[in-house]
This record gives sequence, C-alpha cells and structure tokens, in this order.
Amino acid sequence: MIPALALVVGVVLGLVFGPTVPNWLEPYLPIAVVAALDAVFGGVRAKLDGIFDDQQFVISFISNVLVAALIVYLGDQLGVGGQLSTGVVVVLGVRIFGNVAAIRRHLFRA
Amino acid sequence: MTRPGGPARRWMSPDFLTELFSNPLDPGYADAAARRAREGPPTGWRRTVRRTTAIVVAGLIGVLFAVAYRQTVADEPRRSQARAELVNQIKQRQEATDELRARADALRDEVARERDAALGSGAADARRAAEAATGLRRVTGDGVIVRLADAPREEGADRGEADLGRIFDRDLQLVTNALWASGAEAIAINDQRLTATSTIRKAGGAILVDFRPVTSPYEIRAIGPRDLGKRFEESAAAALMRRVVDVEHIGFDVHREKDLNLPAGTEPVLDYATRPRPSPTPSPSPTAASQSPSGGG
Repeated sequence: MIPALALVVGVVLGLVFGPTVPNWLEPYLPIAVVAALDAVFGGVRAKLDGIFDDQQFVISFISNVLVAALIVYLGDQLGVGGQLSTGVVVVLGVRIFGNVAAIRRHLFRA
Repeated sequence: MTRPGGPARRWMSPDFLTELFSNPLDPGYADAAARRAREGPPTGWRRTVRRTTAIVVAGLIGVLFAVAYRQTVADEPRRSQARAELVNQIKQRQEATDELRARADALRDEVARERDAALGSGAADARRAAEAATGLRRVTGDGVIVRLADAPREEGADRGEADLGRIFDRDLQLVTNALWASGAEAIAINDQRLTATSTIRKAGGAILVDFRPVTSPYEIRAIGPRDLGKRFEESAAAALMRRVVDVEHIGFDVHREKDLNLPAGTEPVLDYATRPRPSPTPSPSPTAASQSPSGGG
C-alpha cells in the first residue's frame, strides 16, 4: 500500500518539478518505462498472491531497467537498436500481459 | 537443454514462449516467499532498509512515468514547430523566387525596349507579335475562365486510399489541351502562362506548372475566339469533367470573360536545341512542312 502511495507521490513530483532528461538518456526512456511497468505489475500481482517482497521488487526493477538499457545500448552500437528495442518491448509486454491477466483473475475471479 | 529428471523449474523449455505466457511472474517472488517461510520474516533494521528502498524505488518509478509523459507531450509541439519552420522556409523561398522572377521580367522588358529602340519599328512589331504568340509577352483579350477545384474533403475521410476528389495533373492537361484544341491562343493556369515548353506534372501531392506549384482552386484563363467557351463545353474533356463533378463533387465552372490579362511566361532555356545553320542545299524547311496538309489531329 505504501509503495503505491509512493508511486503516486513520485508521479506528482515528476509532474510538478518536471526534471529534464539529458539527451544521451533520451533513447532509454521508453524502454525504462516499459521495464518499470513490468516491475510494477509484477509487484502488484505478487501483492495479490500474498508473496510481495520489498527486496525482490527493488531488484526486479533495477535489473529490468539495467538489462533493457544494456540491450538497447548494445543494439545502438551494432546498428540494430530499433529491432532490439522491439524485442525488449515484446518480451516485457508479454510479461505485463500475463501479470495483468493474473491480477484480473484475483480481482474479478474471472 | 532439459535434463531428464531435473528440477521442476526449467529455465529454458522447448516451448519457451508457452512457458513465458503461462508463468510470467518472476520466480523470485515465490523464492523469496519460500525463504521467508523457512527463515521467518526479516526483522529490525534490515526490514526497515528494504521497506525504504522499495518505497524509494516506487517513487522513482512514478517520477519516471511522469518524466516520460512530459517528454512525449513536449515532443509534439517540437514536431509541429519543425513543420511550421519548414513551411516558413518554403514560403520564404517562394517569395525569393517571385522576387527574382519579377526582376527577370523587368529586365526582360528593359531588354525588349532597348532592342525595339535599336530595331526599326516594323521589325519590333513583328518581334512583339511573335513573342505574344509564343507566350513570352503579356497579352490581353476576351476569352473564358475555367475553374477547377478539389472536392470538399469530408471529415474523417480515409487518407490511405487515393483521393479521387482531387484535381489531378492530367485533369489540367486535359482541360488545357481541350482549350488549345478549341482555338485558344494564350492560356494561363493560376497566372502561370503556358508556353511551348510548359509542363504540367505532378510531384508528390502537388501539381507543378513549369516547376512552380499551383494549388486548388485552379483558374485556367484562356484567350480565344468568341465561341471558345462553347467549343470547349462541347469537348470530351469538359464532358469528362462534368462526369467527375457528378461522381466526386469537384468544382468545375466555365464562363466567358472580357478583357483577360495574361502574364508573360518564363523564357524557355534551350540547352540542347540550336538553330540549324543555313545549308546551301535545299532541304525541307519548316515553312514547307507547315504548308503541307497536316494529317488530322
């Protein structure tokens, strides 16, 4: 519950202060968002399953973002950045969908 | 590779995708739960630290979302700004072209005046008549105005398919050809005088007359005989245009007009064609060719 509140507070802070993203970080922003979404939905599902773990949440977010960023970086260097970004988005998207389906089963029993 | 009799949790089964779909949750959460069940929940400062980091990370994620949102919203005006800038540049270049053209026209007038002064009045008159006929001099006279306009675009029309309600370059070609055939002596499309080397063609979505873009509504002014309008109305091109009006609702309108003023066309630049040198042997001259009966149209 408290992490959810922190999330809302973070959104509000981000909207109010509007930090600018440095240029070199810009290509990673969309991937970071998808990775963060994956961590969030994973966390929500774990919470509903009753096995939420703070440490696990932190690690999953950080590793998601790092691995996604690394893949995109490598792709950029190799000249296949777009394709690798698509790969990251597809894999994380599949996970997000699966987690959302599990959340839906929990909430609506359907 | 799966090991027979290996642990139930395989990292890479042959149908990895099915696995991914059916079990998307990190096994880490289950592992952590099992560990907690085994060792009991963490206590004291450890618990506090973990809690705090989780909260901080959740806040970070929130900031990330907000930043990404702002970034996406901020990108939009930048895009339209770039577009506006390009449009601006195009307009500026067009203005520059117009200016240069006006200057060229003025200089040409001056040259013509000087030349007329140098030549005798008889030769100057002949030259002026030739220029007027070839489209290099302003002309005035009675004629018709043909107006063509794109069909009004209905809202939410699918932009993917070819828009048949638009005036195509070949429509303009048809109409101008029909006007020539009906006896027009001088034609201008949106103030672009047609000469012997004029082109009407399409580049992308724009119609270019002599490499200058013209836009809807198109006004084709033609000077010709008294019955020019009638003859044009009876032509196949006019009939086709009326059909298109019925089907696609484009704008098409022909009416007679007195005292039309047509501008001079741009001087054609001949890079490759040169005048033949007069040869001593009698050869089929252009005048002889034009005197022979032409083989129909």
